[in-house]
Amino acid sequence: MPTEAKTSADLSNENREMIDLIYARCVENAPNFGVTADCFTDSLRKTIDKYVAANSPGAADAGDVDSLLAQIQSDDLFMAIACANGNERAWWEFDQNHRSYVERVARHLAKTEVDAQEVIDQVYVELYGTKIVDGERVSKFATYSGRGSLRGWLRTVIWHSLVDLHRASHDEVSLDEMTENVGEGMAHASFAEAAPGGEDEMIDHLTRERYRRATVSAIEAAFRSLEDHEKLLLLFYHVENLKLREIARLVENEGSPLRGWFQRKSQSRNDDPARRIHESTIMRWLEKSYARVLHLFKAELADQSSLSRDEIEICVGLATQDLAGNNLFKNLSTS
Amino acid sequence: MENKGNISPQEAAMANLVSQYLRVRSAADMNGSADGPHLDNDSLAAFTEGSLSEREAKPVVSHLVDCLFCRHVTAELIRLDMAFAENPVAIRSADTAEPSKVSEVLSGLFTKIFGTSDGAVFAHNEEDEDEEIKNEDSEDPK
Repeated sequence: MPTEAKTSADLSNENREMIDLIYARCVENAPNFGVTADCFTDSLRKTIDKYVAANSPGAADAGDVDSLLAQIQSDDLFMAIACANGNERAWWEFDQNHRSYVERVARHLAKTEVDAQEVIDQVYVELYGTKIVDGERVSKFATYSGRGSLRGWLRTVIWHSLVDLHRASHDEVSLDEMTENVGEGMAHASFAEAAPGGEDEMIDHLTRERYRRATVSAIEAAFRSLEDHEKLLLLFYHVENLKLREIARLVENEGSPLRGWFQRKSQSRNDDPARRIHESTIMRWLEKSYARVLHLFKAELADQSSLSRDEIEICVGLATQDLAGNNLFKNLSTS
Repeated sequence: MENKGNISPQEAAMANLVSQYLRVRSAADMNGSADGPHLDNDSLAAFTEGSLSEREAKPVVSHLVDCLFCRHVTAELIRLDMAFAENPVAIRSADTAEPSKVSEVLSGLFTKIFGTSDGAVFAHNEEDEDEEIKNEDSEDPK
């Protein structure tokens, strides 16, 4: 995960010129925000440290810094810095442009109007900041980097604020249990419950137990061998119950890294990189992932469990059944 | 699950097995993922919008694979983004509303939340803000 770099990235002359240009444009758009060039540059330096320097083994490449600067949501960042500094005009514009959004998101996520109102108030208080460190008020706005949109960032702030609210009123509930009660997670809280199923009497108990262990071990190994982006796609779809169109939305951005990884060898991407991602494309990515899992699963059964082709077919057959009811994974939850 | 498209019976079996395996595995992880470090709001928001580069996204994706909490937050943010994309929130017209002073708005909030308006919170910046307010009163909104 992105972390603060220990040392600040050295900026090239080109980088500095670009920052000056961005700053000039921001000042032109919002002349009353009172953000100084130094303050703006400091904020961008933090963003560069977090997203470029921290992920670079050596010194941050000037080209990478330029590329990041080109994608910065500069007007949003400029407003956030001004709000963090307590600029009245910036706060007014923030309130004008984003309050209705904050209210709508809070009402969408919260169970009751009272909760929603409490979250809205709390978010505003956090954005302004109540903590004083070294004589300086610490505003939540100071943590916004401009890497994504201000509204996208606000969504996460509101979500976490709602989680905090829920925690405060349910001290005994674990964080994960609680997240299941916020937003649409409520609907999927019982996903792990095992469905009932019958015993397969065609295979005797000992043999069946052997195949069961081999199957569990092989699926674990197969999943482990996938690339992280393939794992995440499967987790989003099967555990978080995201719909195909919701995943498509996640990769809608032409520069989306997930899209890049899945379409690495795609001819259509080479022909038209901006092409829209449809639900059918996500389904194809899932199908490819299942095919990869199947290949790895069979290889694992053959190599590690020394099963014959017929025995592997038995294990694949097991996979078609309602295995949760047969306790296929009975040891997994405690291992 | 929606449809399984055009896949072989064996791949369909894998889809079923993967689904069961991941659900059980996540249930087992339920109590373990709350303690570890989590992605900050900034990284979560940037990832959800697809605005991180591949190099920046790599550690984020690795974390999401292992952290149920952050993955769940991300999924909720994606749903939210989808729900709101179809009905964007209008920006209020700057011409129709009077500027509300941040000190007034926040004083009201602090009173509501803490029962008192904490003057100390504003104290360090009070003078500057007053100056700015005076200056801005004589200026038109940008």
